[in-house]
Amino acid sequence: MPRTGPRAGERRFALALCLPALLLLVVTTTVPLVYLLWTSLQRIDLSMPWLTGFAGLENYAQLGGDRRFWSSLLLTVVYTGTTVVLQVVVGLGLALLVMQVRAGQALLRVAAILPIVLAPVVAGLFWRSLVLAPDFGILDFVTRALGLGSFNWLGDPQLALVSVIAIHTWQWTPFAFLVLLASLAALPPDLYEAARLDRAGPWQRFRYITLPLIRPAIVIVVILRMVTALSAFAAIFAATGGGPGSATEILNLYAYRLSFTELSLGFGAAVATVLLVITLAVSFGLFALRRGR
Amino acid sequence: MKLRTAVLFAGVVLMLVVWTFPVIWGLLTSLKTERDVLAYPPMVVFEPTLGNYRDVLFGATSILPNLASSAIVSVLTTALTMLFAIPAAYALSRLDLPFRKATGFYVLATQMLPPVGLVIPYFLILRKIGWTDTYQGLVLVYLTFALPFAIWLLVSYFEEIPREMEEAALLDRAGRWRALWYVILPQARGGIAVTVIFVFLNSWNEFLFAVVLGGNTVRTVTVAMFNFISLEQTQWARLAAAAMVGMAPVIALGLVAQKHIVKGLTVGAVKGGGRR
Repeated sequence: MPRTGPRAGERRFALALCLPALLLLVVTTTVPLVYLLWTSLQRIDLSMPWLTGFAGLENYAQLGGDRRFWSSLLLTVVYTGTTVVLQVVVGLGLALLVMQVRAGQALLRVAAILPIVLAPVVAGLFWRSLVLAPDFGILDFVTRALGLGSFNWLGDPQLALVSVIAIHTWQWTPFAFLVLLASLAALPPDLYEAARLDRAGPWQRFRYITLPLIRPAIVIVVILRMVTALSAFAAIFAATGGGPGSATEILNLYAYRLSFTELSLGFGAAVATVLLVITLAVSFGLFALRRGR
Repeated sequence: MKLRTAVLFAGVVLMLVVWTFPVIWGLLTSLKTERDVLAYPPMVVFEPTLGNYRDVLFGATSILPNLASSAIVSVLTTALTMLFAIPAAYALSRLDLPFRKATGFYVLATQMLPPVGLVIPYFLILRKIGWTDTYQGLVLVYLTFALPFAIWLLVSYFEEIPREMEEAALLDRAGRWRALWYVILPQARGGIAVTVIFVFLNSWNEFLFAVVLGGNTVRTVTVAMFNFISLEQTQWARLAAAAMVGMAPVIALGLVAQKHIVKGLTVGAVKGGGRR
């Protein structure tokens, strides 16, 4: 039987099925990104349209001396790092805890869905108004009742950063929890029986059995949470708008404010390009790491 | 052992409270008068009112047009996404596609793009072609996150279907289209339904593209939340009511698809990665 005939047919068929989506992706994502690069080489100030023109690498040169850029870069690293670590540690802790409880697991799974399906902008607004607001926010009531006094959670630069990190962690820890719980539930119980017979303590069982077995799941969670944290926007926008001042202005917020508040699109595009390069480098770095194992 | 049980129980209750609190408190706030919202200490017992819902739905700042905007954008995005993603995912997961690895990698890369990197060029492009504040414009932009996501999620479902079924159909000279239509699609029905729910959910919740590229005609419900916030005063109770109405569809969908959500969230994790 000649094998080329049907195989060539299959390849043609596969191409015909895949090409429309692929072309659409090229047109909707790659073309705009090329345009983003082009924009980052321009001077485009909508407030000063007469200055529009090719600027070469000027925007990037300007970035080097821009203190707001370096601070937003640092904030991005802090925000991404802390939220990811918190989500994994808290999520894993909770999953281990819940594994001990049989009853109520279903209820918890449903509760965990709630933050995840909520629009980040709504999560940001809820936290801003109901939890963190001075005077009538619930947290203010709790700290006052405990005698700790009143805090301006979103008005103080350092507390604002803590707050937006808390909001992100609140919204996405259930994700880490659900994935890790699923992975823990799939572990073979007889392994633990053997370990118990060998008189391994709980910490040893966790360190030498559980952790290595769920490591793939942890890596997946880290990768996915990292990408989400790097593209976080709406919750911070709703809670602080990047403020006070630029205290919670991660690169996303900075690029947005530059482009659409200060109307300096060329410079904003340069910031967005830096973010793009960082995001892709981090994601593919993590993938390479994962594949290397 | 008693103490251990108590600690576990307390931990679980605390989790429940923390995760559900903002939403439950939002629900309570939406039933208060604006004056009761600002009371100190915060009121747990109060005389509930549906006034906020009346205002939010039928008052001067009705969000009904915004719900319509969100529904149109989300439904169109979902329909278009599925139309393109199902064939592509089938080819990627099951067929001898040329450059299959590179193609999968490309789709994955497009899924990682930070939205702020896309919103700037789209702002300029849509302005140039006069598509800002139009449905076609926003749907086009929504495809940038919906399509790669849907392709990867569907690939993971298609891969679960036993190959023998398809081979049997092909041996019967059923033709590739017929095999796809009569064998693969019915088998993947559950996966397709979950993908539809997720794409709809992500489109409904989107904010950055909607606030920059929308306008007075296309103003989605996530953007409309800011109707109730102004420099002079914020109408927290109405905002809470609007949020409850605006989030009701996604909360309902989330509960329906609850069992599949972990899988949807780890889309492509088996192969590579994903975004949301």
